[in-house]
Amino acid sequence: MNTNLKISNVTKIYPGCVANDNISLEFNSGKIYALLGENGAGKSTLVKILSGVIIPDEGKIYLNENYLKLNSPLDAKKNDIGMVFQHFNLFETLSVFENLIIDSDEQRESVREKIDAIMKKYNFSIDLDIPVLNLSAGQKQKVEIIRCLIRSPKVLIMDEPTSVLTEQETSELFLSLKKFSDEGILIIYITHKLKEVMQLCDEVAVMRRGKLVSVSEIKNENIESLANKMVGQNLKTIKKKKAKTSSDQLIKITNLNFTSEDPFETNLTDINFSVNRGECLGIAGISGNGQSELFQVLSGEIISEKNSIEFNNNYIGDLSPQERREYLMAFSPEDRLEQAAIPQMKIFENVALNNFKSSNFFNNGLINENKIKEHSKKIISDFNVNTDNIELKSQFLSGGNLQKLIIGRELITSPDLLICFNPTWGLDVGAINYIHETLIKINEQNKSIILISTDTDELLKLSDKISVIHKGKLSKIMNSEEVTSEKLGILMGGAN
Amino acid sequence: MIKIVKRDQPSRAIFFFTPVLAIILTLVAGGLIFFILGFKPFEALKFFFIVPIADKYGFSELLLKATPLCLIAIGLSFCFKSNNWNIGAEGQLTFGAIVSGGVALLFYEQEGFYILPTVILAGAIGGMLYASIPAILKTYFNTNEILVSLMLVYVSKLILDYLVVGPWSNPEGFNFPETRQFSDSAKLPLLFEGLRIHAGIFLALAAVVISWFIFYKTYLGFQMKVSGFSLKTAKYAGYKGKKMIILVFLISGACAGLAGVGEITGPIGQLHREISPDYGFTAIIVAFLGRLHPVGIIFASLVVAITYLGAETAQIFMQIPKYTGQVFQGMILFFLLASDYLLFFKIKFIGLKK
Repeated sequence: MNTNLKISNVTKIYPGCVANDNISLEFNSGKIYALLGENGAGKSTLVKILSGVIIPDEGKIYLNENYLKLNSPLDAKKNDIGMVFQHFNLFETLSVFENLIIDSDEQRESVREKIDAIMKKYNFSIDLDIPVLNLSAGQKQKVEIIRCLIRSPKVLIMDEPTSVLTEQETSELFLSLKKFSDEGILIIYITHKLKEVMQLCDEVAVMRRGKLVSVSEIKNENIESLANKMVGQNLKTIKKKKAKTSSDQLIKITNLNFTSEDPFETNLTDINFSVNRGECLGIAGISGNGQSELFQVLSGEIISEKNSIEFNNNYIGDLSPQERREYLMAFSPEDRLEQAAIPQMKIFENVALNNFKSSNFFNNGLINENKIKEHSKKIISDFNVNTDNIELKSQFLSGGNLQKLIIGRELITSPDLLICFNPTWGLDVGAINYIHETLIKINEQNKSIILISTDTDELLKLSDKISVIHKGKLSKIMNSEEVTSEKLGILMGGAN
Repeated sequence: MIKIVKRDQPSRAIFFFTPVLAIILTLVAGGLIFFILGFKPFEALKFFFIVPIADKYGFSELLLKATPLCLIAIGLSFCFKSNNWNIGAEGQLTFGAIVSGGVALLFYEQEGFYILPTVILAGAIGGMLYASIPAILKTYFNTNEILVSLMLVYVSKLILDYLVVGPWSNPEGFNFPETRQFSDSAKLPLLFEGLRIHAGIFLALAAVVISWFIFYKTYLGFQMKVSGFSLKTAKYAGYKGKKMIILVFLISGACAGLAGVGEITGPIGQLHREISPDYGFTAIIVAFLGRLHPVGIIFASLVVAITYLGAETAQIFMQIPKYTGQVFQGMILFFLLASDYLLFFKIKFIGLKK
């Protein structure tokens, strides 16, 4: 049976931002549709409207010419719209089977038969009786997909499904999606990754800043044309000049281990690496493989053995972040809004978070506001932060401007080593370019960087050496010229 | 049509307006309760809020009650601002009173200028010692400070009970549960002839000024602010989290201990069973009603102090139990929490389309 889904003049306005501006789209089963756009383009809002999570201010949704009133996720389910979110909605401690029947009112046995049939049909192999926390990300996603398939949906929406998958898991997912499509399920695939669109989809709708920019068939597009539509400008490509790196060692990590008491954290085992002056070491990996723990160990938020970290011929493993800053290290954590900065505080107060002795931000325990403000003004102008008011609360800065402020704050000490964790996560292309240029500049000044990132392209662009972290262990360190994203993908999946 | 819209940013005006709104709503609800009980609402509210402070004596009583509330609330604001939930100020007050009372009894029938400072210091130290228990358990054993500090309140009250009926009870006191009277040198001087207001109020005012300075001018205050917003950020910035937790608990305990000193070395001049009508708990309301701001706390402590006095007047003139005062305190907190909704949302009235 043919399925037709129509979005008609949908508008959703948030304070200060039009998330969806009069969007009209039509989808027919038998094809795979891509909804493409940068972070903040309005894709997620649109799919949340389709799945009943958000109610639009204006506009209507029709399924096979019938007007759908989607007031809650339950309404979407009733109307055969299935949705797999970017972040899994699974109970980690319950078994796979329990997770699958949680919203079902059918008999357990009959659901079990249904699940077995689905798994057989699509070649999924998952033990139904083990707790979800023992599954890999790819398997968890399959559980989410099965949960949708039990209800034999007409429409299946996938929101950024590959952000936690390895290359291999991704190609498996694509095979399944093509099979679903052949069987008449209408697939809408949301992403900002161009390669995937080219690989998987038949038609593509591009969104930018809440507006629908274009709808076209994939065969008429290529990566560059889609990128330009998505960004709205011609992309300038940054290339790092391969400078001759010194053999002057700056930081050396020896036999570093970290065992966490928290079951949701990853233990680090036997970490060994070194970084020379002027070098950028990239650390790749799928998120949740110990990156956050590694960052904290390096920044001093987690203290380790004194001798495990040697920096500039000093053993600093047991020092706090503040003490490490005095040795000219700087840190830019992943979470801008909850860790690197405090949105409710003013810009200049956020600058004072990087407190080092020679800054004189605090004298004899008293706040030296003039000094802090002076510094803040310098950061704002040196790092192109788009405001001239340092009294502004930092929640009013865009992600890109906030990240510039944070990087600027960390670099004002002109540190020998900057450790950053997903520095361009969720930023628009302009800001990403700026941050990348800044990082390259640091290397050119013979300063070093440890770049922990889940963005493989970013790592290949900026790093001199690359290692992959998987389940808290580092792979051997490779020269970045010898590495391809395919090879990284294999290592990220845990293979040797 | 009424529509509720999220605010882009909590406005500063609303931040200070909601406590006032809470007080107004408390008055309205209080009037309603009086009406249901069969009293004339306005008359009853007059007995509750105006009659008690209409004369010089009443005003002195107001300041007398507001003093410990203000002092404790200032101490608590150090904890609350930095995300530490000390709700055992009542226990710290009691223990401070026990220690300072013990010291005062050591100087029984002695005179000397050094006695009062020693007694006051002993009270502060007692409060600090008692507050250090939840602080140390929290920092080194990961216990929940809410539970520990709360439960210690009852422990301190039982210790006090034991002392005043047992080893410290007045030998000539006909087995009344109280100690001997402290010597005059161990008492806080009264400020005016015939009024009960005593020098303890200067301790409270000093605490207000010092806390304002620490909050807004010092590195410690800045660190407290950061920790209050995000412990993750505080850790990233490299602040010594454990040290700060212990420090704010000590400050808070010292303030509560001083309030305890004021209660026993003021007009009463001895230790007995009931030294505090739950000032330590009521001060939590005061701290939040005053928005954890030193000046706000002054006003809040005066407002809440009236409920103590009003309850007594109402009991005398209207034969209502004095526990009505606690009803009013509860209502203030209730309405304050409810109207804080307005910090993040605004209510829009949309005219009906014709």
